[in-house]
Amino acid sequence: MKVAFVVQRYGLEINGGAELHCRWIAEHMKKHFEVEVLTTKAFDYITWKDHFTRDEEMVNGIKIRRFPVTRPRNPVRFGRIQNALLAGGHEEEDELRWMNEEGPLVPSLIQYIKRHADDYDYFIFFSYRYYHSFWGINLVPQKSILVPTAERDAIIHFKIFEKLFRKPRALIYNSVEERKMINALSRNEHITGEVVGVGTELPEKYSGENFQKKHSLESGYLIYIGRIDENKGCDELFRYFLRFKKETGSSLKLVLMGDTKIKIPSSPDIVYLGFVSEEDKFNGLHGSLMLAMPSYYESLSMVTLEAWAMGKPVLANAQCEVLKGQCQRSNAGLYYKDYEEFTEALSLLESSSDLREALGNNGKLYFQTNYTWDIIEKKYLSIIQKLEGDKDWKSTSSQRH
Amino acid sequence: MAEEKKERQTGQENGEIRIDYDNIDVEDIMRQIRERIAARPVKPVPEKVPFDSRDAAFFPPDYEEEAGPAGIKGRLKNLILRIMRPLSPLIKLLILPVHEEVRRTVINLDQTNRRLDYINARIEDDLNRLRAELDHVNQVTNERLDMALDDIVRIKEYSKLLHNLSHNLVVELTKLKIEEEHLRSASRILDKNFAMLGKRERALEKEVFK
Repeated sequence: MKVAFVVQRYGLEINGGAELHCRWIAEHMKKHFEVEVLTTKAFDYITWKDHFTRDEEMVNGIKIRRFPVTRPRNPVRFGRIQNALLAGGHEEEDELRWMNEEGPLVPSLIQYIKRHADDYDYFIFFSYRYYHSFWGINLVPQKSILVPTAERDAIIHFKIFEKLFRKPRALIYNSVEERKMINALSRNEHITGEVVGVGTELPEKYSGENFQKKHSLESGYLIYIGRIDENKGCDELFRYFLRFKKETGSSLKLVLMGDTKIKIPSSPDIVYLGFVSEEDKFNGLHGSLMLAMPSYYESLSMVTLEAWAMGKPVLANAQCEVLKGQCQRSNAGLYYKDYEEFTEALSLLESSSDLREALGNNGKLYFQTNYTWDIIEKKYLSIIQKLEGDKDWKSTSSQRH
Repeated sequence: MAEEKKERQTGQENGEIRIDYDNIDVEDIMRQIRERIAARPVKPVPEKVPFDSRDAAFFPPDYEEEAGPAGIKGRLKNLILRIMRPLSPLIKLLILPVHEEVRRTVINLDQTNRRLDYINARIEDDLNRLRAELDHVNQVTNERLDMALDDIVRIKEYSKLLHNLSHNLVVELTKLKIEEEHLRSASRILDKNFAMLGKRERALEKEVFK
């Protein structure tokens, strides 16, 4: 069986989001299927400018076919069009224009799918909101599996997506909340759908002590890992944390890892380490008291799963339904929706090592039950087996085409 | 052992959050946190008293009205006031210029405030007008930019076509040049063959006519 993973960007250099999710799944599924990746030559997710030069290459034993972006995104124009669409009534044509503006504009990839549809058994599309998924699924709905990686943002209410979610053979969701949201939006309950997510692998060795020594962290700390951005709720986290420090006199520190898009407050209690190696990341996580996850929009937080895999509790933003739902299902994290709840939850976690340990153990159990690679692979295989077994659909679809 | 467990279970009771560490329920903990927040006494917000420039501060209090508080302090105050009573016209006379000056200042301040309010309103109007104009200019500029961007994309595609065309022309010219060279070579070979056949003809003629 030959399966193509279709994603907006792909490469070892891309270390987050749906792209990393796709790479990990592709690399784990290559032992079950012949796997290829169809993607763009882009690296920058803001402009989608061509970066990779080769049309074909092998990455970790997987053949990658790259297609050029015919027109990079103009962020100013795109922002203006999106704002206009979100501000008021509009037609489907406007949404399609928005889609072209958003990109990555890769008509050659769509042409390739059209010409070689018979060469592949299934196309697994990642990220519902981009050009490749929209046109690809419309072209080969009978062979499409969509991993939407959808968050609760405004554009999901566009008409084109309501129809899109009803087209593929199957949908693979990241969380129960994502599934509920998409079902409610598009009434697509009749389509095969499964909550799967993504696994993670912990390094064999990690040492929180080494990390604490390296960065002279004497008191306990909570850690944030990821892009430091307003959309990720980081500015709110800084405000809440500094106010918490001022009001309680706690010795807790906040350690930040990742690229920053905003100004980080200058405070001895906030330690910014920038982009760090995987080794440092896991060491830092291991040495921390808990992970802070202040994001408002997540379809699945990989770093939260990593924290749970390491037995660390999480303090999450309750405004994000996915994070709140995961904390409740796993019983492995507390959450806050305002400063009062933040300070109460953080004080409780800081003061009670028993609570941290109990939540961390629950997290570890939740991870092992739902997110080890064996389980993820089995879920993907069972979806494909289910589709293969659906002969009626196949015969009706062949009559249709 | 059972006691230890109980201790662990009720370990947070002093802090008002009850946690069963052997069977953690996050929703229950969050519910208790919310209840605890809700039970906190609401801090009274001090009411802001609007400042009035004509407050009593600018007008000296009538000492007679204030006289009469009980206790030693009050009696002392009354005594001093009684002693000073004969001098009160003089005191009033002395503070009269100051009083007049304060009154004028208040009037001036009031007028200045009114002017400032008027100027603020004007500035706000002007700003609104400017914002509207700016929005309009932005809209027009954006539309023009869109058109220009479309033109640029079109010109870019056209340039690509021209580039391909010139590339094709160069290829065709090269092919023609090669063809020409080939034909020239063929012609030279034919000339040589013709000359050789002439010589042969002459040699044969010689043999025939011998």
